[in-house]
Amino acid sequence: MLQKTDSNATWFVVAALGLFFIGGLLTTVAPPLLDKSWNKPFENTDPAKGPTGKLVGYTDQEMRGYRIYVREGCKYCHTQQVRTLQADTIRSGWKGVPAPVSTPDEFVNDYRQTFGTKRTGPDLARVGGKYNKQWHAAHFRNPRDLVPGSIMPPFPWIADNPQELDDLVAYLQTRGRAKDWRPDNDYEK
Amino acid sequence: MAVQPTIASAPVVAGQDFHQDTTVKMFLLGAVGYFAIVGIIALIIAAKFVWPGFLGTISYFTYGRMRPLHVNGMLFGWLLAADMGLAYYIVPRLCGVKLWSEKLGVATSILWNIIIVSAIFSLLGGYQKGLEYADLPTPVAILVVIAWVMFGVNIFATIATRKYQQMYVSTWYLMGTILWTAFVYLTGNFATLLPGVTGVNQANLTWMYTHNAVGLIFTPAGLAVSYYFIPRASNTPLFSHKLSMIGFWSLAFVYVWTGAHHMIHGPISQWLQTISIVFSVMLLIPVWAVVYNFIATLKGQWHQLSDNISLKFLMSGTVFYLLTCFQGPMHSLRSVSAIVSKTDWIPGHAHMAVLGTFSFMAMAGVYYVVPRIFKTTLHSEALANWSFWLFLIGGLGMFTSLWLGGFWQGWQWNNPAIPFIDTVVALKAVWMVRFLSGIIIFSGIVLFMFNILSTAIGAGQRQTIAQPATAKA
Repeated sequence: MLQKTDSNATWFVVAALGLFFIGGLLTTVAPPLLDKSWNKPFENTDPAKGPTGKLVGYTDQEMRGYRIYVREGCKYCHTQQVRTLQADTIRSGWKGVPAPVSTPDEFVNDYRQTFGTKRTGPDLARVGGKYNKQWHAAHFRNPRDLVPGSIMPPFPWIADNPQELDDLVAYLQTRGRAKDWRPDNDYEK
Repeated sequence: MAVQPTIASAPVVAGQDFHQDTTVKMFLLGAVGYFAIVGIIALIIAAKFVWPGFLGTISYFTYGRMRPLHVNGMLFGWLLAADMGLAYYIVPRLCGVKLWSEKLGVATSILWNIIIVSAIFSLLGGYQKGLEYADLPTPVAILVVIAWVMFGVNIFATIATRKYQQMYVSTWYLMGTILWTAFVYLTGNFATLLPGVTGVNQANLTWMYTHNAVGLIFTPAGLAVSYYFIPRASNTPLFSHKLSMIGFWSLAFVYVWTGAHHMIHGPISQWLQTISIVFSVMLLIPVWAVVYNFIATLKGQWHQLSDNISLKFLMSGTVFYLLTCFQGPMHSLRSVSAIVSKTDWIPGHAHMAVLGTFSFMAMAGVYYVVPRIFKTTLHSEALANWSFWLFLIGGLGMFTSLWLGGFWQGWQWNNPAIPFIDTVVALKAVWMVRFLSGIIIFSGIVLFMFNILSTAIGAGQRQTIAQPATAKA
């Protein structure tokens, strides 16, 4: 059959698209049908099955902050995934408690996936509740004031805009909060 | 099967001059210009790693907005436009007919320029979709689809009117590029926005697009260019038609399965990760088939590299292709991914693919085509040679520094006793080397652009003198 494609353009088109669509459909349309956790929000009440908790939808304010996160291209430097690597769980942990691994059901409400590809700055999958608004405000104004050696750009146009700052911080505080994994729930507001 | 492995190197049929090539000129000159403009953006973002405050307080020039501009500008403004321009050159010649519609081609080129200029302004303004490689806002993405249909109709209609029944490999690869790109682009830019497509589901579609943007757009386009220009520039028949078929059809089947290998260890189903790993390793088949074919074609002809600028770029591009496509399958293995994934190794790998391999191939085509379509000689062979060595040395400096730095970074990350900020500070020397390599690469871009534009602008004056030199082409 493939030899016909050599001189017949119609055969060629059929073969090229046919081969492409086998893998194309099986790797894009099939997976969400087979793995329900891709579309079902996280909810667990049984401590025996791992961290308990429930994924809740974004508030309007958090959503505005989310859009700022997308607008400024934060994901080009910050990943949002605790991978199945021990080092990842410890790095994203809190006061000696390792963070739970990220699962698909924690991201069901994300209108833009923010998993990221490059970890120039630290992973933000479990950053919610670690730093308060005051810290974030100072950090956005000039990251090197708080973290010497950091190469994060300053974001004065956010730090100087109370509305945008509140929104963005509200979004950041949601990161990784679906799972109640910290002892005594010691989250910053 | 009537095998005609010599097609690409056979003398052009009489009446070669009937090609008008206006579309080729517009696409190639535009692409070369954007290469230099976006090259400045590339230098700025490389500088930001070394001096994080540089241009840092102006929102339009912040890293998070300039990086998507760098990526999209290079991919669509330079590389894809150059590949499209070369397709408008190659296909009519392989079919022995005129381009189906020169007017449609010119209109496509104008639309393409509108797309790139709108992309620059919208990305700097923060109007972006927030999906990697598909960052362009939806209205601009719709224009890309329209332009792609215009391009596809023109090329396919040219093929439909062809004089030679059998199609050469480059024609298949360009047809494949047009067909696959259509669906890959729609998936990444539109299917991802469908209601209910969120989180991991969206990421999986994004990865199908992002990975195949390289694998099923730039790979087949770059290989089409190489399959045409390696035999042409060296005046040597292609080594094997059969091997080129194996390479092509295995690429068509294998590539699309591998998207999930970008999320190895991440929050995506383990079985999907495993599938992507298996197919990633199978990618070695099309790659080695193609590389063997290119290398074997040059058997006994390697001496030609010393004074043939196109062959220099083509064969170095081939070596980079072999290397980058050996890295790719290896990265997908879980053990290797645990070290290199998300580190600076990855941009090193990506630049070897897009700059080292596919841009080298496109530049080879541009150096070959521009003097011929303007019916003149290249402005300066010496400058062209300089540009090659600047690209090669700058490129190698960038790739190797990022691999070494990224590997080191990955080892540090896997030791949680090392605070994250220490792993940032540790890489500052690497980022400095990358910036300096970037300056060398950028000098190469400037020489390339200057040479090509001078060839085009000076064409009128030297036309009559230079004619004999191009006759044998």
